[in-house]
Amino acid sequence: MLDAFSRAVVSADAKGVCLGSDELAALRRHVADANIRIDATNAISQNISCIAADAVSGMVCENAGMTQPGGNCYPTRRMAACLRDGEIILRYVSYALLAGDPSVLDDRCLNGLKDTYLALGVPIKNAVRAVTIMKAATVAIITDTNSGPSAFKDISGKGSDCKNIAAEAASYFDRVINSLS
Amino acid sequence: MKSAVTTVITAADAAGRFPSLSDLEAVKESFTRAAARMQAAEKLAAGIDNVTADALNAVYNDGKYDQATRDKCARDIHHYLRLISYCLVVGGTGPLDEWGIAGMREVFRTLGIPTTAYIEAFVHIRNRVCVPRDMDQKAADEFKALIDYLINALS
Repeated sequence: MLDAFSRAVVSADAKGVCLGSDELAALRRHVADANIRIDATNAISQNISCIAADAVSGMVCENAGMTQPGGNCYPTRRMAACLRDGEIILRYVSYALLAGDPSVLDDRCLNGLKDTYLALGVPIKNAVRAVTIMKAATVAIITDTNSGPSAFKDISGKGSDCKNIAAEAASYFDRVINSLS
Repeated sequence: MKSAVTTVITAADAAGRFPSLSDLEAVKESFTRAAARMQAAEKLAAGIDNVTADALNAVYNDGKYDQATRDKCARDIHHYLRLISYCLVVGGTGPLDEWGIAGMREVFRTLGIPTTAYIEAFVHIRNRVCVPRDMDQKAADEFKALIDYLINALS
């Protein structure tokens, strides 16, 4: 698992040199924006069910047959597994966001996920839909657009201040979507 | 790789929990120390050749060690200093552990390399760090802590 710092170190080591001033300047910017990153991660941690459970149930609502006999979320044991997976994917996205690097998401979550879903007969299209809703909800919560300031107090900056970190979070969800489809 | 942030994430993942407030506090704490670490890494990178040469002179000039090994010793000291600069950047001992210390004992034993020369060199480097000529006090503390870590591994 790498973070933004060790990613820079690994690429410097491949060249056998110390980090140059450009790389250090980039890392200093990363440090300067640390509070926004930490608050964005905290925003996810504090809205887990708002993001994960709502996304999965939203996806199920769009496909009414899923909870009927013969559907992929019937019986509740399979619905529970679906809810649990939404939360697991969100958790690894939150780790990647905190680290500032997608390697933890790739190594520990996405590696083999599609094969597992295919083997278990999970409909990929619906899984992707749930992740898409999670992405929209996460971006909205990080930029604090849909839930109002009361939902998450003391976040560093509002709206446009969080644009970059929200885009980064969205890129991790896109990574999940790409790896599944 | 073990760094300030990945250590926290590994622990959270082992427990299966989202990053908690105390996890985030720990990450924040590491970010507040980052400025000093970056400064140390920057100064070390700028002076790495001089520091290596200075340490070599201190070790080899009294004729205690075979001069034939001088170039190889220079290469290794330079290598370890580079790894220390990486550790300063990531805020953990991961680069030293994975690229410098793992397997080191076995290599030294097999090749019959005396580690005392390295230890002398790094003790010299540690003692030569001068505040504020070379770097700030906090940066020097971070740097010396990593040199001590390496000396412990070598001895």
